[in-house]
Amino acid sequence: MRRTIAQLALFALVAATLFGCGASSDPAQRTALAALATTTPQPSPSKRLPPCRPGPNLTASLRPPAPMPAPGAMPAGSFMAQIERRHHLIAGVNDGFLGFAYLNPSTGHIDGFEIDLVRQLAKAIFGNPNAYVLKALTVSQRNRFVMDGNVDIVVDAETITCKNKEQVDFSTPYYDAHQRVLVPSGSSAQGLPNLGGQRVCATTNSAPIPVIQQYPTHPIAVGASQAIDCLVYLQEGAGRIAAISTDDSILEGFKAQDPNTRIVGTSLAPVPYGMAISKAHPGFVRFVNGVLAQVRTDGTWASLYRKWLRKFSPTSPPPSPPQPTYTR
Amino acid sequence: MEGSQHLAELPLGRPRSHVAAALDWLRARATTTPGKLSMVLAGLIAAIVLFGIVATAAERSRAQAAQAARAQTERLLVQAANLYTKLSDANATVATALLSGGSEPPAKRALYLQDLRAASNALSTLTREAGGSARSRAGLGVVSAELPIYSGLVESARANNEQGFPIGAAYLRRASALLTGTVLPAADGIYAAEARRLGDDYGSGTTSTTLVAFIVASAIVLSLLALAQWYVARTSHRILNVLMLAATAVLLVVSIWGVVGLLTEQSSLSSARRNGSDPLEVLTATRILLSRAQGDQSLALVDRGTDEADPRDFGAVMRVLEPSRGTRGLIGEVAALAGQNGTSGPASQLEAGFASYRAETAQIAALENGGQIEPAIQRAPAASTTFDHLNVSLADQVAAAQRRFTRSASSATSAVSALSLAIPLLTVVVAALVFLALRERINEYR
Repeated sequence: MRRTIAQLALFALVAATLFGCGASSDPAQRTALAALATTTPQPSPSKRLPPCRPGPNLTASLRPPAPMPAPGAMPAGSFMAQIERRHHLIAGVNDGFLGFAYLNPSTGHIDGFEIDLVRQLAKAIFGNPNAYVLKALTVSQRNRFVMDGNVDIVVDAETITCKNKEQVDFSTPYYDAHQRVLVPSGSSAQGLPNLGGQRVCATTNSAPIPVIQQYPTHPIAVGASQAIDCLVYLQEGAGRIAAISTDDSILEGFKAQDPNTRIVGTSLAPVPYGMAISKAHPGFVRFVNGVLAQVRTDGTWASLYRKWLRKFSPTSPPPSPPQPTYTR
Repeated sequence: MEGSQHLAELPLGRPRSHVAAALDWLRARATTTPGKLSMVLAGLIAAIVLFGIVATAAERSRAQAAQAARAQTERLLVQAANLYTKLSDANATVATALLSGGSEPPAKRALYLQDLRAASNALSTLTREAGGSARSRAGLGVVSAELPIYSGLVESARANNEQGFPIGAAYLRRASALLTGTVLPAADGIYAAEARRLGDDYGSGTTSTTLVAFIVASAIVLSLLALAQWYVARTSHRILNVLMLAATAVLLVVSIWGVVGLLTEQSSLSSARRNGSDPLEVLTATRILLSRAQGDQSLALVDRGTDEADPRDFGAVMRVLEPSRGTRGLIGEVAALAGQNGTSGPASQLEAGFASYRAETAQIAALENGGQIEPAIQRAPAASTTFDHLNVSLADQVAAAQRRFTRSASSATSAVSALSLAIPLLTVVVAALVFLALRERINEYR
């Protein structure tokens, strides 16, 4: 009996020691597993805006100042003077839009028609075409970055629409594109009339989406975060999408990257490209319009077109630059 | 109701059953001394056999858990961490190689393939041996299914990039999104499942229930033996019975040996956990998170601002790694655990290395946010080198923790290895001695 009591005492002692040890071991695993469970923080969703109706003068913009300030001598107190003090212009651009703005794999730089327009702006502000930095943005980032002042200007094939105009101001148009349709070479479709009930891709929240959705044959609009992702979907095949419908300027670049595609149908909608600027800086809008007016008239626009875009439609006559209309 | 009525109608007085007859016979026998002794013998033998079963089961469950922890689970945990880090590193490598300009450097290509191969090896080891939890199997299914798709997308990216097409970058983004959005979380899940499995092994390898069951069983049998000796001494008027004493002594030896063995196993396994796998888990988690941070940083750089999720994820991961808001962070946790093992040297090196990594990446992020992409890209290799040093230091510490683990875990398994034979054998000896002792007494009455 005494032995039993002694054993019970031993057991109690042992148990007490062990429970003490066992508990101290768990926290390391808990810490490690909790650390691994770290998730990517999500931004809060932006508010949805009510639909708007385009007025007659959708592309009209503010009249340029006369005379234009000389490079390196921006008027005191103007937004351009602020940019000048920073020593570089910050532009939001695309990085996957062949011809317009794309990351050139051989140089590692973003190049293209739009980048050369940014260089024209830098030249007009600083007298130095290289005084700029670029931020590659997605379509859903563009207006937000302009409104938050993270970029001075967006030159990213942004369509002048009344919906966009509720958030930002636009320059006069610098390129007139048209919404058309790209299909695989094997497809018999000749445009949206043959694509009823089929999946047609465009950039999420971009102007082509409602055009696809409201087309009488009711194609199904599929959104991608960037237009180039639509081409990836098309190349992946497996019936993921039947066609891409967006600006012909973009589609020409797609055709150049994938010869097994063709552009079909007529213009579904005009797509004027404008540079987006914060509503807080009307003076900068006027200044940019002044630079664009010069670019249109002094032959720069035509030479940039030849440099970057001519190769995509060598047979059709080169277009003339879009003509501006001014308010006030 | 019907059944009981039926029973009530049975005629009484007939022999009820064989069982009842046997009970009658036993009752009759129980009144005689040899009958009583026989029953004591039967009871003791039953108790000893029961003890043998309980003790063997206790020893087996401990031995198996210690064996599993030592031979399998811990190794698989390291493989699961390898799977994650190699994939994440491969992705960061290919992204920087393809998108920072110029043609793809052959060294980067080789590094990418090497990482991908190491990840595949880890994957096949895990698939072969981690038959365990459903979560682990589901994760392995996802990784095996998506990995070929990932490498296919990377090859499409390379082919298009070679021709100067921007769609190459789109393929790469897609590959990256597949990896960071689907494959890496699955790898993370496999790691967590393996870590939990190791925790379970520890649980059953150190649980006090086994020890308590063993001690209680020995205590009961020892008490019964003592009672039986007291009873036999009273009925036979002989104080000593050599065989019974021998049986008691052998049982006492088994009990003490068992308790000591189980306690040694338990404390060795606890020390394997404290000095081996606790630091190991924190170190591998640090490795995984650092590799995730480095991946985020590289991808954010090559995306030139397109992707806001990567910088956000980078921030979140760094906040877990570095000390903040009263917590010491995972890096501090490594140092604290290293202090407990008396290996603070490498841990303080790690802290210093991490501090410079944090400073370098902060500089890069500042340049990037200012739109200075080119200078940011030029600084990236320095941060990448620091990351490589950190990785090497972490891998060394992981290996050291593994060695400590193996040492303690082997002494845990060897503590109980002899018991697996000794318990059943000595139990039989005890039973035989008791049988012989009591049969001698019973025969005295014949």
